[in-house]
Amino acid sequence: MAGPVAGVEPWRRSMGVGSVGERDAAHPLDLAAWTREVLVTGESRVVGDGRPAAAGKRERDEVFVEYTKSICPVCKVVVDAQVNIRGNKVYLRKRCWEHGWFEALVYGDAQAYLASARFNKPGTIPLTFQTEVHNGCPSDCGLCPEHKQHACLGIIEVNTNCNLDCPICFADSGHQPDGYAITPEHCERMLDAFVASEGEAEVVMFSGGEPTIHKNILGFIDAAQARPIRSVTLNTNGIRLATDKAFAAALGERNSRQGRSVNIYLQFDGLDERTHREIRGRDLRQAKLRALDNCAGAGLTVTLAAAVERGVNEHELGDIIEFGLAHPAVRSVAFQPVTHSGRHRQFDPLTRLTNSDVIELIAAQRPGWFREGDFFPVPCCFPACRSITYLLTEGTAGQPDFGVVPIPRLIQVEDYLDYVSNRIVPDFAVREALEKLWSASAFMGTVTTEEKLSAAAGALNCADACGVNLPEAVASLTQRAFMIVVQDFQDPYTLNVKQLMKCCVEEITPDGRLIPFCAYNSVGYREQVREQMSGVKVADVVPNATELQPLLAESPYGSKIARSRQQAGNGQRTIDATNVGRRAVLPTGQPQEGRP
Amino acid sequence: MTVEPPPATAEVKACCAAAYSRDAVALVLGESYHPGGRALTRRLASTLGLRPGWRVVDVASGPGTTARLLAAEYGVTVDGVELGESTVERARSAADEAGLSSRVRFHRGDAERLPLADAIAEAVVCECAFCTFPDKAVAAAEFARVLRPGGRAGITDVTVEDGLPEELRTMAAWVACIADARPAAQYSDILTNAGLVIVSIEEHDGAIARMIEQIEARLTVLRMSAAGSLAAAGVDLDAVMRYTALARQAVADGLIGYRMLVARKPM
Repeated sequence: MAGPVAGVEPWRRSMGVGSVGERDAAHPLDLAAWTREVLVTGESRVVGDGRPAAAGKRERDEVFVEYTKSICPVCKVVVDAQVNIRGNKVYLRKRCWEHGWFEALVYGDAQAYLASARFNKPGTIPLTFQTEVHNGCPSDCGLCPEHKQHACLGIIEVNTNCNLDCPICFADSGHQPDGYAITPEHCERMLDAFVASEGEAEVVMFSGGEPTIHKNILGFIDAAQARPIRSVTLNTNGIRLATDKAFAAALGERNSRQGRSVNIYLQFDGLDERTHREIRGRDLRQAKLRALDNCAGAGLTVTLAAAVERGVNEHELGDIIEFGLAHPAVRSVAFQPVTHSGRHRQFDPLTRLTNSDVIELIAAQRPGWFREGDFFPVPCCFPACRSITYLLTEGTAGQPDFGVVPIPRLIQVEDYLDYVSNRIVPDFAVREALEKLWSASAFMGTVTTEEKLSAAAGALNCADACGVNLPEAVASLTQRAFMIVVQDFQDPYTLNVKQLMKCCVEEITPDGRLIPFCAYNSVGYREQVREQMSGVKVADVVPNATELQPLLAESPYGSKIARSRQQAGNGQRTIDATNVGRRAVLPTGQPQEGRP
Repeated sequence: MTVEPPPATAEVKACCAAAYSRDAVALVLGESYHPGGRALTRRLASTLGLRPGWRVVDVASGPGTTARLLAAEYGVTVDGVELGESTVERARSAADEAGLSSRVRFHRGDAERLPLADAIAEAVVCECAFCTFPDKAVAAAEFARVLRPGGRAGITDVTVEDGLPEELRTMAAWVACIADARPAAQYSDILTNAGLVIVSIEEHDGAIARMIEQIEARLTVLRMSAAGSLAAAGVDLDAVMRYTALARQAVADGLIGYRMLVARKPM
């Protein structure tokens, strides 16, 4: 993994701060004192590039665009954070009283990041909230009444056990003796909590662990289908689907019940053997192919879900799309930059992959099919979190007769989904259709998505050209439409409370809470729920960042945790306290309280 | 793009078997289409500095999409002028439906003889239509005539520089929009000669590149879904796509572009 990017160094120099790792190596036992000296006394502070201040005022090398909250990736204390733009890239920076400065790349294209703000849809208030506002975001999940959006997608993790022990797993799952599996009663309660919050819910995803090895998984799907939940998605590594045709058939049966669908979200990181070994620890290529063929045989629609890590499989994005286009079961691909929560390879937070990087790679790898502008941000969540495009296709990928057209080249998506500029919208039915398609609840194979694809064709208000009605022509093609999703989940480095507050992908917990997915993985809820469910103490997972190496030890599950209690910090106080509970300016004569 | 097309050529007919009253771009992209879409319309409106209560003339207003947007979002009153009678009728009913008929009126008329009195408007807009006017000097003079002193005219239009490939020039008529497009400098000369003072010129070549991309996308969809009926109608889609590819290259080479010009009538 590369070291800090050259262009990133100046702020560290200007703040007189090295990376945490360097600092820790130099002062292994006196990290806090070192930090305090630099940040509070200012004596060690060097201005600008090191020249004395007397040389005159200097420009900062970055544009300050947001003030927000995040957490310390080591001790998980809530801290203030800043978002800055440098060299057309967007970075989130924060400082922990005990553990110092942290910075991570959050968007590789600052222009696109700022432009995406227009695609921010007013949120919908859920029917119920499960918690109260007490300590503020992200401590009150959830959902608390300050949450800005309802749940487009609810996730139920049915177990922590898995038939794989992948080197990359945000859930820290595997062959583990001390995990948990939910009971049918848990599942009913979780589904009820989801329905109570949503009324009619769009999609529930069963995940894990590996959900297909839970003995009650089919019963869980039945329980979901017995409720007003339009569709079920099963998130799987495909091993059971590859070997158990009866299981695939049982899912297929449930896929056609009363307009409800069951769709498969198949972990599929690439076609190279090395990709499989690096990300999954095993060459699973044959298993994936058999799983896909069994899905096709059972009439199941599949999304290929690829975890993308820099230096591992970023070169395979175009190949994954092309493979998916050619397989009869596959109707979409979801690319997810690896979430640096749970288990993952060592990484540099400053060069991690973001949504815009993935989109640029897709365009570069299949220039005849895509350009970056074919992807549009998703308005239901925070638009920087997820981007989607849809394709109309004809023929077989790889064959000369193959044709592909990204739908945003047919429809001016921004005329409908730009919520800032558009005071008049050309057609509200088309907007509604596009809102459902550009949503975290959109999955190929669901009735809603198929209907809305047809409805979106209504935006093609042109005349009958040469005897062909284009909207009808497009509507007929939507049956073969293909979806590509790019979703960058947040980790303890990139967590931005602003985005979390509008998250629409929620983990449903066995005690009936709905916790934003990125909060669940990053701020300590996953550890809390596992501990409650298993009765086994679970230490806070710390990202496996290069700069944190001196602090890290291995957890029993393969993830990283702080090496000692001292390294973990006391988790109590931070120098950046947003809600200080007193007047901004104290009356004259009253002593200014010292900072912690 | 919504005024009468230039004299039909054999090429136009070859492109689309049926004789339509609109040009090929309108056939493919819809008649309210113009490069840059609503975003460029808003850019034009803000550059003109439109204020609530102002009177705006929209020359070649087509089905009235821009007129309604300006009235709804900028609070102005709009007089749309459009040559096609049936287009005017449709524009009127769309404005009615939007509840804007008190502030959006449409008149049947020619850009070279605007059916409006002198010095009535704070602003004139003309999107992707100026290049199609046979006598541009007269049209520009009409813009100046209906503007109040200090009023502003804003046009967005296709530019074609010298050196366009021969193959594209002879086929240019199939896209009526570029049939009589001029080099960028000529538009400012024409407005200046009409007594207007150029305030700003902006390059928006990306808008025309995206238009070509959209044409190609729709043609590809037609080929996917209706190749048979197109062939029966005598349309050679491959030939058409060869021209769009040439046009795309010409944009990349800077030979075809898109400009927004704003000019002021002296006080």
